[in-house]
Amino acid sequence: MAAKFDLNDDSIVVIIGSGAGGGTVANELAQRGVKSVILEAGKTLSLEDIENDEWSMFSKISWLDKRQSAGSWHGAVNHPGLPAWIVKGLGGSTVHWAGVSIRYQEHEFKMKTTSGGVAGANLLDWPITLDELKPWYDKAELKMGTTGEVTGMPHLPWSADFKVLAEGARRIGYSKITAGPMSINSEARDGRPACQQIGFCMQGCKIGAKWSTLYTELPRAVDTGNCEIRTNCMVLQVEHDKSGKVTGVVYADQDGKKQRQKARVVCVAGNSIESPRLLLNSESSLFPNGLANSSGQVGRNYMTHMTAGVYGVMPGEVHMNRGTAVAGIVRDEAHYDDTRGFAGGYTLEKLALGLGFLSAFLVPGPTGWGREVSSGLENYKYMSGVWICGEDMPQEQNRIALHATEKDQYGLPIPVVHKTDHPNDTNMRNHAYGQMAKIYHSLGAKKIYNLPAYPASHNMGTNRMSAKPEDGVVNKWGQSHDIKNLFVSDGSQFTTSASPNPTLTIVALAIRQADYLATQLKKGAI
Amino acid sequence: MLYDLTIVKDHYREIAPISDFKLSRRGLLASTAFLALATATAVGPTGSWAAAGVSAEQRLALIRMARDIYPHDDFLPDEPYVAVVDSILKEAESSEETRKLVMDGLSDLEARAKKIHGTSFAAIADPNKREGVLRSIELTGFFQKFKGGLLMGLYNNKALYPKFGYDGSSWEQGGFMDSFDKIGWL
Repeated sequence: MAAKFDLNDDSIVVIIGSGAGGGTVANELAQRGVKSVILEAGKTLSLEDIENDEWSMFSKISWLDKRQSAGSWHGAVNHPGLPAWIVKGLGGSTVHWAGVSIRYQEHEFKMKTTSGGVAGANLLDWPITLDELKPWYDKAELKMGTTGEVTGMPHLPWSADFKVLAEGARRIGYSKITAGPMSINSEARDGRPACQQIGFCMQGCKIGAKWSTLYTELPRAVDTGNCEIRTNCMVLQVEHDKSGKVTGVVYADQDGKKQRQKARVVCVAGNSIESPRLLLNSESSLFPNGLANSSGQVGRNYMTHMTAGVYGVMPGEVHMNRGTAVAGIVRDEAHYDDTRGFAGGYTLEKLALGLGFLSAFLVPGPTGWGREVSSGLENYKYMSGVWICGEDMPQEQNRIALHATEKDQYGLPIPVVHKTDHPNDTNMRNHAYGQMAKIYHSLGAKKIYNLPAYPASHNMGTNRMSAKPEDGVVNKWGQSHDIKNLFVSDGSQFTTSASPNPTLTIVALAIRQADYLATQLKKGAI
Repeated sequence: MLYDLTIVKDHYREIAPISDFKLSRRGLLASTAFLALATATAVGPTGSWAAAGVSAEQRLALIRMARDIYPHDDFLPDEPYVAVVDSILKEAESSEETRKLVMDGLSDLEARAKKIHGTSFAAIADPNKREGVLRSIELTGFFQKFKGGLLMGLYNNKALYPKFGYDGSSWEQGGFMDSFDKIGWL
């Protein structure tokens, strides 16, 4: 029987957001007997809502509340109102993610030490190591059904499109070419079916073969009787008492009415734009710069990964849309080697776009028209493509700020998302473009398109983890340095972006955080 | 000018799929041939664009512009372009804002064509010269309105998917299990 908690119940944990971080923390707490309420800003979604249609799903699940792109990245011109491409709905961006589940490498937890520092970058080592996180990665992979050694589930079979990338990569001497790890079932597992190569992974998996909190963590949390989910509930403010401990949250319910939910602990997991925005919007006389912000780092060091796309017109038919969106990964450039002209590494992830999205992104923005675009699209079935995903340098001025005058539908200042590439990002992107050109030329590609970054689906770093309170917002458990019953449970706690896609690490950290939090609650330490 | 995916999204529900038209080879190389052709293919709800105060010649200029925004010379017929133009003209019928955007934008386009090439836009024979004129107005709301509509009307149009070799939705057929790994040339 689903739990229902009173607004004045101050014994519960309030979790803001139901994605990889919030959804996982909720279920892990629920399994340990800790009661929680999830406040999800978006609406309820189910597999019934999933369509194999890019634009239809874009309008159905995207976070389209008012936002502003800023900084010198092309999106400030080409995507002025859409800095990020993430989900507003139950399950958060685990509905949209492609399933890539790579662990961070040992050196990626200590990029400051590894690189010796990079001028202009606000680098910091994580307060945790790969060794510490290993058991939690194992648990995350078992939970998510990640193909590979831990689950024993084989990687998915190679699609035609991945065979193209793999052959080109082989021809230029690459060897780290695999169809995983992906958190997409290659066999029926954990009550979910095997992948049927439907495609449209990023529009939501129609059959639930891809892990999402929508149909795993969330219903399981509710089934324990320890978790209540309230959808269409946008949290506006986190409140605190005179001692500085948080006491609950104020939110707008489905009818737009303001409610106050009391709480013993608050976990913020609204993704790296909304989480810092909420803390900044929660300013008070006690915390004039926003909650948990004695370091001044809330909202700063916003990272998206260094990203880009490359699409090539091949000499034969490819039909990239047939099969999983990301059907394989090449990791020969993922290591650290600064003789390449940049710190950090990157992966090449085969990425299929449908005709609808390719038409908008092949040459994005107002100037993306003419024969350059149309002739490429005429060759849709000959196209193969990758997404380049690499380490992004944290910079203080890349940040989530509150707009001085513009307000959203709740009357709160809208977020302004500042993003300017570091020279390291530019060098890495150019290196990747060059390697992709070699790969596609080796296959006889007739035309190659270099695409700039998409609106960011990987958003990290704006409430970063640090050993010392003056360097960051949360400690190694995701617990605020300033307020011990306030936690950050999403990717905003990442100290650096590393090169891999963030979801697996968000989930590993969330399981670990829930374990710590449950123990602390039991001890009465919080 | 504001251009954004959210604008594209706004167009999503406006463009009805073109049902079952024949794909024919229609080059639009010479302006006179184009005008004759477009006149001949002036199909669809003729009342709506006339009701918006748009002349047949003005509508043809818009269709010419539409074909230049995403040129598919022999690859696509006029109909999907015409459908997008007419849907915007239909909107202009009831929205003064849209009507003004279209009429002012078109006047500006024609004035530039006249100034640079001494002729009307649609009468400029060289497609590169037409592109040059359009590049000078590409950041206007007028141009972006048509660009956004065409993006949906040409590339998010299920009736045209087969022409581009795009399969569209697959879950109803159980996905691509039979074809996803097939490649002949590698």
